[in-house]
Amino acid sequence: MIEFTLNGKKVQTDAASDTPLVWVIRDEFGLKGTKFGCGVAMCGACTVHIDGNAIRSCSYPVSLAKGKNVNTIESLNNEHPLQSAWVEEQVPQCGYCQSGQIMQAATLLDRNPNPSDQDIVNHMSANYCRCMAYARIKKAIKRAATSSVQYFDPNASSEGENA
Amino acid sequence: MSMKNISQEKKDMINLSRRSFMVGSMKTSLFMAFGAAAIPSLLSAKESIETKQFSPNIWFEMDTDGNVIVNIAKAEMGQHIGTPIARILADELECDWDKVSIVHVDTDPKWGYMVTGGSWSIFHTYKPMSQAGAAGRMVLIDAGAKLLGVPANSCKAEKGFVISGNKKISYGDIVANGNVDKTFSADELAELPIKPGKKRHLIGVNADYKALDIPPKTNGTAVYGIDVEVENMLYARPILPPTRYGSAVTNVDDSKAKSLPGYKGYKVLTDPSGTIEGWVTVLATDYPTAIKAVDMVKVSYNAGKTANVSEADIQKEGERIVRDRKEGTVFVDEGNIELAQSKAAQTIEALYTTATANHFQLEPLNAIAEFKGGKWHIHTGNQWQSLTLPTVAKAAEVPESDVILHQYYLGGGFGRRLYGDWIVPALLTAKAAGQPVKLVFMRPDDTLFDQPRSASTSLFNASFDENNQFLGMEHALAAGWPTLKMAPGFLAPGVSGEGKVDMFSASGADHWYTMSHHRARAVNNKVAQDTFTPGWLRSVGQGWIVWGLESFIDEVAMKANKDPVDFRLAMLDGKGKQGGKAPESVGGATRLANTLDILKKKTANVKLGADEGIGYSVSAGQERTMPAWLATAAHVHVNKRTGKITVKKLWVVSDAGIVIHPDGAIAQLEGSLLWGLSLALFEHNEVKNGQVSKTNLHTYLPLRMNDVPEMDIELVESEEFPVGLGEPGVIGVAPAIGNAVYQAIGVRLRHLPMLAQHVTAALKA
Repeated sequence: MIEFTLNGKKVQTDAASDTPLVWVIRDEFGLKGTKFGCGVAMCGACTVHIDGNAIRSCSYPVSLAKGKNVNTIESLNNEHPLQSAWVEEQVPQCGYCQSGQIMQAATLLDRNPNPSDQDIVNHMSANYCRCMAYARIKKAIKRAATSSVQYFDPNASSEGENA
Repeated sequence: MSMKNISQEKKDMINLSRRSFMVGSMKTSLFMAFGAAAIPSLLSAKESIETKQFSPNIWFEMDTDGNVIVNIAKAEMGQHIGTPIARILADELECDWDKVSIVHVDTDPKWGYMVTGGSWSIFHTYKPMSQAGAAGRMVLIDAGAKLLGVPANSCKAEKGFVISGNKKISYGDIVANGNVDKTFSADELAELPIKPGKKRHLIGVNADYKALDIPPKTNGTAVYGIDVEVENMLYARPILPPTRYGSAVTNVDDSKAKSLPGYKGYKVLTDPSGTIEGWVTVLATDYPTAIKAVDMVKVSYNAGKTANVSEADIQKEGERIVRDRKEGTVFVDEGNIELAQSKAAQTIEALYTTATANHFQLEPLNAIAEFKGGKWHIHTGNQWQSLTLPTVAKAAEVPESDVILHQYYLGGGFGRRLYGDWIVPALLTAKAAGQPVKLVFMRPDDTLFDQPRSASTSLFNASFDENNQFLGMEHALAAGWPTLKMAPGFLAPGVSGEGKVDMFSASGADHWYTMSHHRARAVNNKVAQDTFTPGWLRSVGQGWIVWGLESFIDEVAMKANKDPVDFRLAMLDGKGKQGGKAPESVGGATRLANTLDILKKKTANVKLGADEGIGYSVSAGQERTMPAWLATAAHVHVNKRTGKITVKKLWVVSDAGIVIHPDGAIAQLEGSLLWGLSLALFEHNEVKNGQVSKTNLHTYLPLRMNDVPEMDIELVESEEFPVGLGEPGVIGVAPAIGNAVYQAIGVRLRHLPMLAQHVTAALKA
C-alpha cells in the first residue's frame, strides 16, 4: 500500500511498487489529462509536479511518490495564467503534448517569473511537440510571464485583457 | 463505396455537390442537410431527414435559441478543421457565430465517404458548405418574412436575425414558430450564388477568430483514443514479429509471466484480413502488467524473407530501377526528351536520395474493440474511416455494417492514422478473449509498426546546348508506394495509358515549370515495398521528390550561368498546360512566380555573414489538381570545421486562394516548415535486419525548441478557390536549405537528412 497526495487529496494504491506513476494517475485514479508518449522520459507528455518539481511520470515508480504531493494538469483548475495564454496564443494543434508542456512551463515561472527567450528554450527543449508548435509555446510562456508579474506602471489603466 | 469512388466524390464535392439539399423543421429544431442523391426523393425534406437519408458530410441543426450545431465528419488532429468548416457555413447562413458549436461524428455506413487527409478538407467543403449556408439563409428569410408579414425581398439576414426595415425576428423564433419543409434540387442549389471572398466577413485573410477545439486541449479534458475505457475490458500489449510480413509464430513460452499478478495469458492472432502475420498479444487486468509481461513472454518465429534487408539494399534497388528505363511508369512526357538528349552538347546528372523516416505522432497507437449488441464497436482516433472499416470488418468476419468506428481526438495524425491497421490486432485479441480489449502500443511497438516514409532514390539528367542553354530534363524516382499497399484502387494510369503510378509518390515531379522537353518516370521500389508498409507521411511524395527537383533546378541554373531565382521565374511563365484550370489552379504558374517574386524582394537586403547563404525553392503541393503556391527561402550558416548546418531563418510566401482561417493557416505553416526542417537535418531511421533501427526518442531525434529558427510567413491575399495548407509547407524547406548550403560553402548535398558528416566529407573531397 502506497499513500501519497494527488491534487490535494490523500490517495492510496495497491499497485506494484515499480509501476510507473503515469498509469496509476491515469488508469487507477482516472485523471486522463496526463498523457503517455514515449515511456522513457524523452518527450515530456507525462509531466506532473512532485513536491513542486516537473517530473516525467512514465519513468517514476509509484513507490517514490510515497508521502509526496503529486499535482497533475487537472490541479491547475483552468486558472493558471499559462492556460489562458495557451488559448490566447492558440498554441495547441493536436494538443496531446500540451498538458506536459504546461506543467513543465509552470515550474519555470514558479522559479523565474520573467524568463528570457533563452531561459524558456533551456527549460522547454526536452519537451517534444510533434505538431512543432514550438514558436507559439514560447510566445505563450512569455505572455503568461508578463501577465503574472506585477509591474508598477503609473500610466496603466485597470482595463485590458490581462487585467 | 469503393476505393475508386473517392476521386468522383472529390469532384462532386468541389464542383458543387450534385446533391439535393433539404431544410425541414422537426420538433423544436431546424435541420439542414444534403440529400443522398442529386434528385430529391419522393419524401419531403422533413421525412428524409427523419429517416436519415442524407449525406453526413454536411448537416447541421438550429434550435429555438438560434444555437447551431455543425456536425463534422472530419478527424481533428491539430488542424482545428471543424472551426473553419463551421465558419464557412456561418458566413453564408448569417447566424450568430457565438452560438455555433461543432460535433465530431462516429462512422455509420449510410453516411458516405469519410477521410481526412491529403490537405483536402477545406478544398472539399468550401463550396458545398457555402451553398448549404446560403440555402439555409434563404429558407430562414422566407419563413421569417411570413412571420413578420412582409415580402421576402424586403428582408435581409444579419447575425441571427431576419430584418425588414424596423421589424426583425430572431432565427430562434423562426425555428420555434415557422413550419419549414423545403427541398432544393441539385440544379437549384447550383444556381444559388455564393459570396465572393471579399464579401465574406467571417473568413478571409483578415478574419481573426479562435479555434473551438483549443480550450479543452489546455486543461486535460480533450478526450483522445487512449483516454477511453469501457466496462469489463482487459488491457493488451502486442509482441511484434521480426518482419512486417511473412513471419509465423512457432512457439510461445509464458511460464515466467504467469507469476505476475494480473497476467491474463496471451493470444496468437490469426488474421482473416491478412493485415498482420505472426502477432502475439498479451493480456492483463492493467496496462503496466501487460508491459512487463511482454518482456517475460518468449516467442519463437519462422521469420519472413525480409529479415535481413538493410537500408543499403533498398537504396541499391532504388538506384538500379531509376537507371533502368524499362522499369516503372512514365507519367509526364512533354516534347521529346530522347531527341533533346541526342542533340545535347552537354548533360549533367545527379542522384538524390532520402533516408527512411517515421511519423512519431505522440499518442501511441491504441484501440478498444468491444462486441456489443451484435456489432463491433471500435474506439480510436482515425483519419480514413472508409478505408479502414472494410479491413476491420474482414478481420472480424462480419458485414461492414456491423462495425462502428467511434471517433476521438487524434494525438497527431500526419498520415499515420489514415489506414487504421492497428485496430486489427485489438479486434482479434478481443474476439479471442471474448471480452472487450484495450490494446495500447508502447512506443517501440508503435515505431516498429509504423508506416514509414520510404527511403527514396531520384535520378535527374539535364541537357544543354553548346551555349549552356537548358534544353530539357529527365527525372526518374523510386520509393515504396503507400497507395499500392493500402489503397490500390487509387493508382493512376501512366501518360500513355500503360502501367500504374502512385500519384502520392509522384506528385511534385509534374511541376509547373515550362520545359520544352520533360519526362518523369515513377518506379515502385519492391525491396522497400516488401519490407514495410510505406506510409503517407505529411506532404508524402512531394516531401522527397521536390527536395531532389528543387535542388537539381539550382544545379541546372548554375550550369546555365543563371541566378537560381531568375532562372525559376523565367520558367514559371504560365504557358500551355502551366496556365492552370478553374476553379482549383486559376493563374497556374504565374501565381507561383508571384510568390517567388515577393520572396525575392523580401530577402533582397538580408546581410550574410561568413559561411552563410540563402537558398530558395518553389512548390505546389499537394497535387496539380489542388496546388498551394509556395515560395520558401532558408538562411543558413555552415560551420566548415564541424559540418554543422544552422538554419537561422525560414521565409515562406503562400498563395492558397481564399484563406478561411488565417491563424490556423499560419499555425499549419509554422508546424509544417519545422517538419520540413526536421526532415531536412535531423530525422532518419535506417532499416536494419528488416526493421527500422531506432525505436524511441532517445535515438530518433526530431527537432526540438532549441533548433527553431526565426520564421517569416506571408499569406498572399487572394480571391481564388481555397486549397489545403496542412502539408505543403513541409515541401520547400529541405531544398531551400540544400541550396543555401551551396550558396554558403559551395557544397552540393544530395542526401536527406543533411548531416554534419556529409558536409565535412564533401569539403574533404
